[in-house]
Amino acid sequence: MKDERDELLDRLFSAARMKKLDFADTGDYFETRLMATLAERREGRRTWSAWSWRLVPWFATLVIIIGIAGYLFDTGRSGDLFATFTGDDEYQVSSLVAGE
Amino acid sequence: MKPIIAEPTDEHLVKDALSGDEEAFVRLVGRYKRKVFGLSARFARDADELDDICQDIFIKIYENLGKFRNDAPFEHWLSRVAVRTCYDVLRRRKREKGMVPWDAVHYEIADSGRGETEAAEEAHRVLEWGMARLKPAERLVITLLELEEKSVREIAGMTGWSEANVKVRAFRARQKLKQLLEKHHER
Repeated sequence: MKDERDELLDRLFSAARMKKLDFADTGDYFETRLMATLAERREGRRTWSAWSWRLVPWFATLVIIIGIAGYLFDTGRSGDLFATFTGDDEYQVSSLVAGE
Repeated sequence: MKPIIAEPTDEHLVKDALSGDEEAFVRLVGRYKRKVFGLSARFARDADELDDICQDIFIKIYENLGKFRNDAPFEHWLSRVAVRTCYDVLRRRKREKGMVPWDAVHYEIADSGRGETEAAEEAHRVLEWGMARLKPAERLVITLLELEEKSVREIAGMTGWSEANVKVRAFRARQKLKQLLEKHHER
């Protein structure tokens, strides 16, 4: 059931509906501004995409350089698991294994 | 006798816009910008924000044109995008409590001595004050229901919420607004 407050609210809504929303000035050249924004967004996306493609040869070169450097300066790997233990370390390891 | 050139349909313009015809999109914008401005003006705080919201809506439309299916009119799809964008704006916006003090608000709209325009302005201001204190979903529903005079079913279609949900939100919004007005009246 509607009370006094409901009636007041309805009157407010009814009066607010009458209010003419003025956006004549805001709407001027709206399409032009919108299309400019869209072009800007497209351009921004295109620039980013072009840059990422331009960087591909640089990354490829970097990977090749790292590969070559890795190959040239490789100290060689040994199948011996204890190859890294030398001198004093080797003595300690053998003591440990023997339980001394 | 001049040949009658039929106006292209929305679907035709969408198809052209999708194939790269920007002029077709501009025509679509021209066709619906008043409608979009009218709806967004219910939620925007000033002319700049109104322009931003409308730009945002049409940018979304442009970038998602490919997702438009011809199973419903273009206008419905546009309304859905517009309503959801306005809802996002409301959610992003910080609470506006305290923007207009109580003392600055009057709602004696029954006063017949004043012009209709003035009464409408005042009613709008009072409602704006009250609505700023509602939750975004409640504000969206009550605006669409009472100011845009949409049906519950239409609102459900535009927001993606169930009809029951829309009704509950509208009820809560009304209750809150009534409480706010009453509190003001007691002062």
